[in-house]
Amino acid sequence: LTGNNINARRGTGWELPNLAANGKKAASMRNSRDEIVDWVEQGRIQPENLRFALDIGGALPVHSDWRGFLDRFLLWAGVLFVVAGAIFFFAYNWDSMGRYAKFALAEAAIVAALAFVWWRGLDRVGGRAALFAAALFVGALFALIGQIYQTGADTFELFAVWAAAILPWVIVARWAALWIVWIALLNIAIALYFHTMGGIFGLFFDPVRQFWILFALNTVALVIWEALAAVGVEWLRDRWAARVLATTSGGLVTALALYGIFDSKDAGGFGVPVWLAWLGCAYFVYRHRISDIYVLAGAVLSVIVVVSSFLAKHLLGDDAAFAFLLIGVIVIVMSAAGGWWLKDVASREAA
Amino acid sequence: MTAARGESLWAMLVARGLATGAVPQRDKARAPWFVRVMLGIAGWIGALFLLGFAGVMFASILDRPLGAAVLGALACVGAAVMFRSRPKSDFAEQFGLAVSIAGQGMIVIALGKWFGMKLWPAALLMAGVQTCLFLLAPSFVHRVWVAWTGVFAIALALDDVGLRLLVLPLAMGVFTWVWVREFDFGSRAEMARAGGYGLALFACLQLVFMHGEQLWGLFLFGDVAQFGRAVAWIGAGLSAAVLPLAVVVLLGREGVGLDSRAGQLALASAVIVGVASFKAPGVGSAVAILVIGFANGNRVLSGLGILALLGYLSQFYYALHATLLEKSILLVCSGLALLLARFVLHRWWLSQPTEVTHA
Repeated sequence: LTGNNINARRGTGWELPNLAANGKKAASMRNSRDEIVDWVEQGRIQPENLRFALDIGGALPVHSDWRGFLDRFLLWAGVLFVVAGAIFFFAYNWDSMGRYAKFALAEAAIVAALAFVWWRGLDRVGGRAALFAAALFVGALFALIGQIYQTGADTFELFAVWAAAILPWVIVARWAALWIVWIALLNIAIALYFHTMGGIFGLFFDPVRQFWILFALNTVALVIWEALAAVGVEWLRDRWAARVLATTSGGLVTALALYGIFDSKDAGGFGVPVWLAWLGCAYFVYRHRISDIYVLAGAVLSVIVVVSSFLAKHLLGDDAAFAFLLIGVIVIVMSAAGGWWLKDVASREAA
Repeated sequence: MTAARGESLWAMLVARGLATGAVPQRDKARAPWFVRVMLGIAGWIGALFLLGFAGVMFASILDRPLGAAVLGALACVGAAVMFRSRPKSDFAEQFGLAVSIAGQGMIVIALGKWFGMKLWPAALLMAGVQTCLFLLAPSFVHRVWVAWTGVFAIALALDDVGLRLLVLPLAMGVFTWVWVREFDFGSRAEMARAGGYGLALFACLQLVFMHGEQLWGLFLFGDVAQFGRAVAWIGAGLSAAVLPLAVVVLLGREGVGLDSRAGQLALASAVIVGVASFKAPGVGSAVAILVIGFANGNRVLSGLGILALLGYLSQFYYALHATLLEKSILLVCSGLALLLARFVLHRWWLSQPTEVTHA
């Protein structure tokens, strides 16, 4: 194997990569890497040949990948820094700058971003980045309005209005990342609503209603997301977004189950049954309909947390030493069995 | 990866003389990263209960530093023996992980009793314990854990002697060295990778929760004034240098000269982020994790880098070492410079004939 072979495969072009092809290449790169590393660890490939094997398997970036990476990095980091800087600037509430100048600045940023979207279009990464920036600038503008006019609006209203204002763009963009931002805004608005209406102590001592509503929101979003992806909506098929929703939904229902165990009145008595139903659905959907071991791994962890909490509540009493040991061993057995099962599922999926 | 793609990949490697024989069976011992994370968290939960058991059962022994140290050491040795004797057993792996973490907890209790409020010797000794476990206990998840906590112990020791601002750049230096040389470790590559992930986890959590002279440090370790001005400058300088140095090393590994357009633009971009890192020290480190992850085809590392960058920017808002106006100017100027670099990439580079480079 010579350096020339690798260079021939790597190519020398710096053409702009196609977005869809880039995504497929990335997935392929990841899979090849895992497989080749696995083979090296099994001793089927000499460790000193790892680099060459990864190169040949397409697991390492080639010229066009680097070109695409640098292009995307400069774009997204640039946009992120500018947007974050703008938000910091308005939060500073600079006295030396008049209110109209501040409004002009915030609105000019939105108009400039939208003009860029209009020029580049939403199919190009530059247009998408500009729309992303515009959506965040809208939040800065609403915050500025509240800051200057002291409208008396609560913070949750800012996030709710922000989410409502950018909804048309989110729909038009047909882009998973912007939908996740939008759902995050809704989550924050709901959490802040309970924070404001429940008082400062409400957040800490009565979070159950808030958890139920957030759980419902994220679970409905997940179901709709998966259903639309299953019927062929291409831009919803990126697994990362569905995993974010599944993690949020699973985390919340686990918290509700824990409330059900430790304070059944608070959870309305439904915490554990709903958790069990969620587990059953997750198993059916992500084992038999949409294969996603990530969600199954989260479900296993949820089982470990809830079962160990249940046992801790009922067993930790007079003979605490034995109970601690028993629960510890049960946790270890459950996690070992869960790990074995997940690896088995992974092997079957690969076969 | 499907079986068909695996076979095709294997055939390619055989054709190039890198492999021989039939396609290997998929190794069940190898789990996806999220399964390993799940196992790590579960092991930690199990360890808490085992520690509770030891706390109740051996209360009188744990009350004395020597007793706690001996009991903890026995647990760690037992775990290491378990890992070595049953390397493919899921149960032994999880049991060993939980027992070892519980043992480490007991050693921490012992060191706490021995050294009291004097943190640095206790932290250095704990780092030594974690190093021994890293070398002697052959379990991937366990090695990630001991690497992470071992580096954290060293960070606490540096913190205690007033060198907190050097922690992140030093950790990032080791991180860069490990991952850039990932393909050179030969039969110890798996161990190196575990250490590399431990360093990455440490760096990410440091970036998001603990970095700099703000937040936790103010509450946990006293006022920032105790750190000398020189240390602050050196820390800021090293933070700024992390990404440019990582890029130079990567360019060297890939055979790209600094006189080539590719090298110049990559380095210029890194310098822009590096300059921003002078005041926002986490930015360069987070981007370095992202870039090195991409260079090694490692999506987990790249993802950690992105999360670290977003997390750092969120906590940067609350940092007290600069006003929001200063931070805003820094971020907007850096952002515009990066966008300008992209413009240059498109206009200057694409208009030129392609050049033969290695990456």
